[in-house]
Amino acid sequence: MRIPVRLKNELTTMNTRHFIPFMLLLCSLFTSCEDMLEERPYSELDPSDVLTTVNGIEKVLVSAYGNMVWNNVKFRLTRFEGWPADLSWQTGGVENRTALTIMNWTWDASQDQFIGAYSRHYDAIRDANIILGNLDLVTGIADNKKASLTAEARFIRAWAYYRLYIYFGATPLRTSIDDPAEMPKASQEEMLQFIETELLAVIPDLPEPGAEAQYGRVTSGGARALLAKFYLNSKQWEKAAAACQDVIDMDKYQLFPSFEDLLKAENDGNSEMILVTPLSPDGPALNYMEGAFPPGFASWPEKNVVNTSWENHGTQHRLRESFYHSFDPKDKRREPILTSYVNDRGVTVDLLNGAEDNIRSFRFWPDVNAQGNRHGNDLPEIRYADILLARAEALNELNGPSEEAINLINQVRARADVHDLSVTDFATKEALRDHLVQERAWEFYEEGHRRTDLIRMGKFVEFARKRGVENAEEYRTLYPIPQSALDANPLLEQNPGY
Amino acid sequence: MYAFCIARGCKIFANHQLVKLLIMFKMIIVLMMTAVMQAGAVVYAQKATIEVSNAPLREVFAKLRKQTGYHFLFLTDDLKAAEPVSLDVRDASLNEVLDLCFDGQPLDYQIRGKRVLISRKGPQAAVGKPLVQEREVTGTVTDENGVPLPGATISLKGSTLAIATDESGNYRIKVPDQSAVLEFSLMGFDAQEVAVNGRSVIKVALKTSVSDLDEVVVIGYGTVKRSDLTGSVSTIKSEDFNPGQSGGVQGLIQGKLPGVRVVESSGEPGGGYSISIRGAGSISAGTGPLWVVDGSPMAGGLRTFNPDDIESIEVLKDASATAIYGSRAAGGVIMVTTKKGGNVPLQINYHGSASVNHPVNNITLLTPEQYMEVSNAIIDDGGGNPEDRIESTGAGTDWMAEIFNPGALEHNHSLSFSGRLSDLNYYVSLNATDEAGVIRNSGFQRYGGRINLNYGGSNKFKFGTNLRFAHIEDQLINKAGVNENAGAVYAALFFDPTLPVRNESGGFTTAELLTINNPVAILEGEDRGRRINQFAGNVYGEYSILPSLSVRLNVGFDIGDNRNDSYLTRQTLVGAARGGVGNVDQTQNFDHVVEGTIRYAETFNDHQLGLLAGVEMQKFKSSGLSMHAEGFAADGTGTDNMALGNPETFTIGSSRAGNSLASAFGRANYTFKDRYLLTATMRADGSTRFGTNNKFGYFPSFAFAWHLGKEPFMEPVSFIDELKPRISWGRTGNQSIGDFLSITTFARGATAIWNEAQQVGLTPARLPNEDIRWETSQQLDVGLDFALFNSRVVGHFDYFQQKTFDMLMAVPLAVETGFATQIRNIGSIANRGFEFDISTRNLVRQGFSWTTNLNMATVHNEVTDIGNTLQVISGASGFTNSFLVTRVGQPLRSYFGYEVAGVWQTDDDFSQTTQNVKPGDLKYVDQDANGEINANDRVVLGNAFPDLTLSFGNTISYKNFALVVFIEGVQGVNMLNNNLVDTYFPLQNRRNKYAEPYLNRWTPENPSNKYPSFVSPGSQGQNVVNSLTVEDASYIRLKSVQLSYDFPSRLLGNALRGAQLYVAATNLKTWSDYSGFDPALNSGGDPNAMIDYNAYPLARKFQIGVKVDF
Repeated sequence: MRIPVRLKNELTTMNTRHFIPFMLLLCSLFTSCEDMLEERPYSELDPSDVLTTVNGIEKVLVSAYGNMVWNNVKFRLTRFEGWPADLSWQTGGVENRTALTIMNWTWDASQDQFIGAYSRHYDAIRDANIILGNLDLVTGIADNKKASLTAEARFIRAWAYYRLYIYFGATPLRTSIDDPAEMPKASQEEMLQFIETELLAVIPDLPEPGAEAQYGRVTSGGARALLAKFYLNSKQWEKAAAACQDVIDMDKYQLFPSFEDLLKAENDGNSEMILVTPLSPDGPALNYMEGAFPPGFASWPEKNVVNTSWENHGTQHRLRESFYHSFDPKDKRREPILTSYVNDRGVTVDLLNGAEDNIRSFRFWPDVNAQGNRHGNDLPEIRYADILLARAEALNELNGPSEEAINLINQVRARADVHDLSVTDFATKEALRDHLVQERAWEFYEEGHRRTDLIRMGKFVEFARKRGVENAEEYRTLYPIPQSALDANPLLEQNPGY
Repeated sequence: MYAFCIARGCKIFANHQLVKLLIMFKMIIVLMMTAVMQAGAVVYAQKATIEVSNAPLREVFAKLRKQTGYHFLFLTDDLKAAEPVSLDVRDASLNEVLDLCFDGQPLDYQIRGKRVLISRKGPQAAVGKPLVQEREVTGTVTDENGVPLPGATISLKGSTLAIATDESGNYRIKVPDQSAVLEFSLMGFDAQEVAVNGRSVIKVALKTSVSDLDEVVVIGYGTVKRSDLTGSVSTIKSEDFNPGQSGGVQGLIQGKLPGVRVVESSGEPGGGYSISIRGAGSISAGTGPLWVVDGSPMAGGLRTFNPDDIESIEVLKDASATAIYGSRAAGGVIMVTTKKGGNVPLQINYHGSASVNHPVNNITLLTPEQYMEVSNAIIDDGGGNPEDRIESTGAGTDWMAEIFNPGALEHNHSLSFSGRLSDLNYYVSLNATDEAGVIRNSGFQRYGGRINLNYGGSNKFKFGTNLRFAHIEDQLINKAGVNENAGAVYAALFFDPTLPVRNESGGFTTAELLTINNPVAILEGEDRGRRINQFAGNVYGEYSILPSLSVRLNVGFDIGDNRNDSYLTRQTLVGAARGGVGNVDQTQNFDHVVEGTIRYAETFNDHQLGLLAGVEMQKFKSSGLSMHAEGFAADGTGTDNMALGNPETFTIGSSRAGNSLASAFGRANYTFKDRYLLTATMRADGSTRFGTNNKFGYFPSFAFAWHLGKEPFMEPVSFIDELKPRISWGRTGNQSIGDFLSITTFARGATAIWNEAQQVGLTPARLPNEDIRWETSQQLDVGLDFALFNSRVVGHFDYFQQKTFDMLMAVPLAVETGFATQIRNIGSIANRGFEFDISTRNLVRQGFSWTTNLNMATVHNEVTDIGNTLQVISGASGFTNSFLVTRVGQPLRSYFGYEVAGVWQTDDDFSQTTQNVKPGDLKYVDQDANGEINANDRVVLGNAFPDLTLSFGNTISYKNFALVVFIEGVQGVNMLNNNLVDTYFPLQNRRNKYAEPYLNRWTPENPSNKYPSFVSPGSQGQNVVNSLTVEDASYIRLKSVQLSYDFPSRLLGNALRGAQLYVAATNLKTWSDYSGFDPALNSGGDPNAMIDYNAYPLARKFQIGVKVDF
């Protein structure tokens, strides 16, 4: 077909008209690609926005505190301190797969709770080191603010190393953001020295109890108490006794009148609490009760506990009956132990005379504001009773039974409405030590101290063997360095025996 | 296929049924091949010898065809006008014979290639009954490139009037009225109908009809004739898609293409698939393919496709085919091409189908009686609490039956309008799908549409658009979680079978010894929904500067809005404990691509050259919103009014992220003498995900193919239509890792409680890696394409070797740094394997045909380097974790656990072990012989890379009936059956279990060495992943059977152009030793580390459908 000339021209111009914007678009594509490859992380903050302001630094400090709370809060009470020891045990649920290895002393380095605890503490240490390494960049910060933030960060770091030491022994000592990625374990001495000097250094810069900016942040009392427990657990008796006395002399703390009410969520922050891990249903929360509730728990009529909304899991956190029977029947500290309950079919179930060792600890009294399995009871790290018994123990280890030591113990017993002890009841240092083993069991059961106490008092392996744990070996007084930590750091060595 | 397996020492043939099937397969193939060989094993002569007397031309043509191999193409009516002939020739050439035949006939012939076209003499030789000729139409018939076609037939629809085009392709025909319809046809081209509509000049461009060799294959930034392919590309056309797949593109091609593994992660409506091509080449970055829809690379949205809108799917497998997509192509590329309007007047197509779906359940649980008996017997043997003895079963409940919805109805409707209007081709469609799930209270509804427009014709300027929009409403069930947080499948597997659904007061029963919801309470008390809106497509313009030079601009976009709601009412345990729990998550994405290309194609004598160059910018933007509330006043409003929850429980979240790519690419094709084909491609990709020190990556590829079959020396071997060896090498990349890995940022850290209130901390999001770059996969592919016996046998064979290096890996960092891992370029993985597919037309007789497709693939995966890291242990499913190991010398993410040697027997020597074991406990292999079973005794137990995947399809058609039978299978593959873990290691004694191990459990009277006593299953700790729970997941499946009937035109009348009725059945029968729901149901979602845990079962579908063309 022939196209008339005029029309053809028109067609050509039309096509050029199309062609030009088309080519313009095409050309625009060739403009600098580098510019187009800039992308902003909208949902994340630039380090300069965080590390140069007091507010930003405080948020990193929140993370440091937060990392001191375990990912699974109850693990410290159960897997680390409870089930390897003599007072409590576990059945049921998936938890039993791990619990069996703990109760049988066959745990190994591959288990999750070890890497969980290990890495969480080093996360806190990382956050603390970031604060300490960047505080100089913060603009317009008052000197005393800088000093208290520094002291808090150093305290958290020392606390994290204390816990690592308690569970894993000496570990790599990272004290600066500039430390190399892979470091070997510190020596025993370096570790002990670091914790001691850091705690001593921060006490003057920390606020007095009650003067802290928010409840839940550490005070000078908390640091003193931790120092006292550190001395005690590293068996520096003299320093331990003195440090306990320092806490007592602060005159800021006293025993809470009711043992049963001591750990209830509504009594959080009472004056017995020296160092705590604050918990809340909507933040990091306590999940101990999910396993303490027996199957189908509906109510505990004697105590007016009625289950309206608490989650009740397959895992069963059980206490041994021998422990229950060891109490003086008048001992108020036996009160929070559940021995019978009404289940959701209205049947009263007797736990004491049914299945073996099936009674439950209600130390962490169920929180009426709990959401599901998340209860708001704070977790006491060190309370005044612990300081009193620690000083008594240290004095006994130094000089044997003494009036002062017995008086300290009696202070604690008085609250429980049990008779006073007399120094004549204890012929030897060992006799009083053995009593303290028992006294601490009554006072602190399921509170996350048992394994550490037994190790310090030389009973951990002995008691396990007595229970018939054939695998109870001395080397298991330290937990293994987690396998994945070993895999990732060639300079790290496994603890002996594992 | 057999040989691969035996050589690799796999243990798959333990199952006799499988062996039989495989042998059957082998025999069928051998028979098939023999039949085809015989049919085609005739050596054609160059000369013909014919002796006939007064024979019809047709008979002569038949003889000639036999002797020469030439095809004769004619209209039957034309031959009626011819006189019989008498011939007596010996060793005469074809031309000589034909000249004799056509002497004095009203016919003419032309020889084109191997075809003889016969047409009527003269352009105006109209025959037939005289018509009232009121109007004359003239015009030209050309091919797609405008080359005139002589000898094309133009006939008037509804009459016997027919004429042919002259040497210049011109015609002239008289038509009775304006509404007449002309039919244009020519052998080798698709016939076309054109309505006259009052026109007197009608030009027609006929489209080459597609034979296997001539079919056009979509490749990166273009198309190519299959015979010109130098790379490895698998194609599937819509007519070969799996039937009964409404919920995702992946299901359409499952099992159909060698080397392309599609695994269902869920059988729920709307689907859930993972796909991997040629193994896996990455530890930490994604291994899935890049999806390209109508030429625009796009992420996601595969659920929103209407299967009826898809024309074809091409999978680019080797580096020559994929390297043009550079840093995202290491996992292969899948090209989806949607339907376009043809060069015909308006066509209206309706496709409707309905199906009845049933759950496929191969799990046998303990019945109430067995449950009581076994539970009590275990208690009597010392396992569990004597107080937990079961006294009576009551009526009992089959919980599976309670949650299943057998006979779930599904219906699909799709209506399309397509055709050509002047210079515009259009395809407009609407679709609706409503599928009820095989579990109650689940379902999927999709409403969507498509508009594809292409303006072109003979103009130099072309433009077009492809638009897709869809709205999806999904009712989901919970598939994650454990215990009281788990969904209905989990609960139905484990809930106490002796309890009734409801108690006397009408409430749902609870089991006090179980922390599991009543399964029915979950279904009725959980409300989970997903709503998706998607609008995606592209707009392009193209301009031909010269016939050989054109430029093109393409802009693609994808806008998605995805909202997930879930609400737990007080009927569930968790909802009751928290006063209702509501969650709303919303994500939105906006992705776009702008791409400019310039193309040049020219032929100089024996040389053909094709060049392509382009640039491309892509941006992916996404944002998310989430909220959570508990403690609602009442359950009525659910997530529709989150503000009614308790404010103290509110949590919110939001996010925004993005990444971009800037790229340039090019391709050169060079063909010499139509026999030697070379392709080279190159792409440069810059990505925001790469470190500041490594912004750009470069991805070259080269390929060479040789048309061996076209060489003169191959001429005597006349049964070969195509024989094309090819080889390719190239590099592709992978950048499927998170954003911002090269910069330091602060993100949400741990939270603490200060003053009884939650404080949100800040912490570094990562340890940045400024050197981070794409990972590179280098692939060598050697292939052979062949077509034999007039394309009755067509096949492709490939061997590939792929090596990934600079692998993106989350390298474990010293834990003490406070950073768990850092993504680094470290280590390498190798994949190698064979792929083979063959299609044969076994029988083509009058009205009867039988064709067969067989494909097979193997893949061998091996981690060859992971830097200084000893091993990476991963894996998490429910309460089971750390069961996958990545180690040098082993396949990626191999199953890692304990080897079970048997069961401790009464007279065994128990001093060998310090484990706390009794007779009847499982006996684990103490690999390090230290007397203790601990983490050091774990070994590799298998992997999820199949030794062999195969599929076998048969189509038999007789007259208007067609039967398609499709079988697929996988051999030599493992899967962790995490539900079996819960049977061997029950979380609570009173949970229900798989029947088989418990009914045959060890007792002193039945000293089984296979099943333990289950008295103290957990006494040896966490050895739950072991050689019992990692199962062989090999299977052979009768995937689908489809029978269709095409109504003959005489039954249809004038209104309908065609109609088809079909019935199809899907997932009919599976042969496997696997003990879960299904051996190919991988709820874990990673095809390279399959995990079965509470999977939504597959549906067995019985479908009936109708297709009507107006």
